[in-house]
Amino acid sequence: MSRPRRLSSIQQSQKLPRPGTSGWSRREVLGLFGGVGATAFVAGCGGFGGSGDDAVEGQITFTTWGTDAELEGFERTIAGWSDANPGASVRLNAVPFAQMFENIDAQLQSNTAPDIFRVDYDNLGTYAGRGQLLDMSSFFDDAFGERFSEAMWQAVKFDGNPYGVPHHTDTSLILYNTRMMTEAGITDIPTTLDTAWSWDEFEDVAATLRGQLPDDQYPFAYNWQASGVTRWLSWLFQSDGRFLAEDLVTPAIDSDAGRAAVDFTKSFFDKQFVPPNSSTKATTFANEFWYAETTAMTFAGAFLLPDANEVLDWEWGATYSPQNVRGGGDLGGNALVATANTEQGELAASFLRYATEQEPMRDFCAASSLLPTRRDLIESGIDLQARPELGRFFLEQATTVQPSDAEQIASASMAEINLVLSDELEQAFVGGQSTDDTLANIAAGIAEATER
Amino acid sequence: MTDTAVAPPHGGAAATEVADAPRASNGKRPRERSRRSLNETIAAYSFFGPNLVVIGMFLLVPVVWAIVISLQTTDGFGSGEFVGAENYQTLVNDADFWRATFNTVLFTAIIVPVSLAIGLGLAVLLNSVLPARPVLRTIIIVPMVISGVATGLMGEMVFDQNTGIVNRFLEAVGVGAVSWQSEGGPAFATVVLVTLWWRIGFNMVIYLAGLQSIGPHLYEAARIDGAGAWAQFRNITVPMLGPSTFFLLIMNVIYSLKVFDIVYVLTGGGPGNSTSVLVTYAYETGFVVRNQGYAAAIGIVLLVLTLLFTAAQWKLSRTRDLVE
Repeated sequence: MSRPRRLSSIQQSQKLPRPGTSGWSRREVLGLFGGVGATAFVAGCGGFGGSGDDAVEGQITFTTWGTDAELEGFERTIAGWSDANPGASVRLNAVPFAQMFENIDAQLQSNTAPDIFRVDYDNLGTYAGRGQLLDMSSFFDDAFGERFSEAMWQAVKFDGNPYGVPHHTDTSLILYNTRMMTEAGITDIPTTLDTAWSWDEFEDVAATLRGQLPDDQYPFAYNWQASGVTRWLSWLFQSDGRFLAEDLVTPAIDSDAGRAAVDFTKSFFDKQFVPPNSSTKATTFANEFWYAETTAMTFAGAFLLPDANEVLDWEWGATYSPQNVRGGGDLGGNALVATANTEQGELAASFLRYATEQEPMRDFCAASSLLPTRRDLIESGIDLQARPELGRFFLEQATTVQPSDAEQIASASMAEINLVLSDELEQAFVGGQSTDDTLANIAAGIAEATER
Repeated sequence: MTDTAVAPPHGGAAATEVADAPRASNGKRPRERSRRSLNETIAAYSFFGPNLVVIGMFLLVPVVWAIVISLQTTDGFGSGEFVGAENYQTLVNDADFWRATFNTVLFTAIIVPVSLAIGLGLAVLLNSVLPARPVLRTIIIVPMVISGVATGLMGEMVFDQNTGIVNRFLEAVGVGAVSWQSEGGPAFATVVLVTLWWRIGFNMVIYLAGLQSIGPHLYEAARIDGAGAWAQFRNITVPMLGPSTFFLLIMNVIYSLKVFDIVYVLTGGGPGNSTSVLVTYAYETGFVVRNQGYAAAIGIVLLVLTLLFTAAQWKLSRTRDLVE
């Protein structure tokens, strides 16, 4: 086999033919084609210096979705890793998010999956629980996990073993329209995590806005639409509740904390704090209401900053999510994982280690407006390229995610549980379903999902 | 009839054929005929052979495979577990399935007759002497070339209950805003309205082609007999469009039963389950929950529904082959 060279561009990789049934192995063919025309591209990318690993050689395939900034960030990471490991390369395949997991499922089923792929924490447990991911225990030493915050390292574990690396995270907080808040007389907005609004204070703010705004405008929108329904769990975590017991199988949502979370969020619709068409099954996303000035506030992740910065021509700011018994946030962001059938485990592990080194992670997160998972970067902070002064709000908000929250979200049945949450919360919010029935139905749905 | 048509006027050649027949039965002619027949058979298979292969690979094999999967419990990873008819038994008691089935049937029952009627009406209008006919035809046909996803997105913007143009218009004329996205009835109406906008162009084109193949002499004869416009439409136009109607009925029913993209983009099946249809339910079951055996069972039910309707229509339609 000819020695594979460096990264080929995304465009090149998308045009490459899929290997057929010749006598060549899939990886031989990929290696041969993957090297074509790659060197010139990499020469222009530069890198981040050595990875500190023993140098490895060979080529791995990597499938991801991403914004332009994210894809460019991945390309710089790949170039840096290739510089540190002459003879090692990555064939990057960028696909639209809408097709990502249907494609990965089909490739896993037909044994044509890439060596590594990007996956959100909700889905990581789904794949790990079905034996589709490579257990990285034998590739990472015991100290490796210490580079990450405890919650983020927990988020890539399944049955106590790591099945990938937490590449970046994101969490939601409140973005507000300064003019609409000021006109409603709300000027005392928290600027530190420990002074974040309590649920009662947040309700007062919403009630004040409701009293000031016309009928077709609303105090806020919450970003639980479509696959964002997991973000509802922040309210449960803020009440110090769980949806899965410690065995990660038994439903635990039918509790006082669960009741408080459903009651409080249900009241958003009853009191017209949120647009009636912003429920969990709505097709209009929370930020769109805020962009259109239909709402004064929205809950949003850091990933939205570049877009908001570019689109909005009015003044806006950020503050923390409300707190109840404790602070809590959603576990956004994505991990990088290797597939169970990869023949390049060592090479994949080397790339995953490199991608979570300090400089590659800082570069990727700053450029993509995402949050780091490394302890050192969380402590030192990073300068997001869009609205850098708001970065600290998101970083501090991310610290409210507890390892126990992450552990539940990364459980094997999270995809099914999300669907149960979406259906039942929709019924509670706009279908008139009682809190007790909602909790009982969610608990039954979770039990069915975890039994499957 | 055919024999009469080809027989010579005086029967001479026919008599010769008859006289030659015994010789043909034990001479070389049968071999020639047999060889010719074989060649024709080979030619026929070579023409439709490639189609058979494609249909087999991309239609029959997937259908058979879907039936096999529907008899299993499987998440798609590894081999599934054979459970017989268990998935179908579960369907019987699945309230979400029945809600999706009801919505699908209701959607079909509204879309098919209304889109056929509007398509026919527009075709009749645009087949008459009307100013700017080519422009009007183009405007009506344009939605046909837009993808379902794009159509759904446009519908979402138009019917946005906070910022959409429809509510702005309704408020301007004093009717008041409608909760298009947060109440079940109006949300279902948006799916119907957007689908109609998307589908009537196709129906109009087929009907227009059908109208243009009806001879003007039929209408002329009817007028001479004193038939008015409505009588001509009812007794000539509608029956003569029988083949077009049959084709459109089948196509529209199939489309309506398997509607997915517009619903998925426009309402996501909500609010609640008010716009959930069989294919959105199968998609969620198969690709979100990854219960692919159950999703395959939903797909097979949909296939059976479609086949039943098509067979019934084939049997009952009296004008599907009507020509002048």
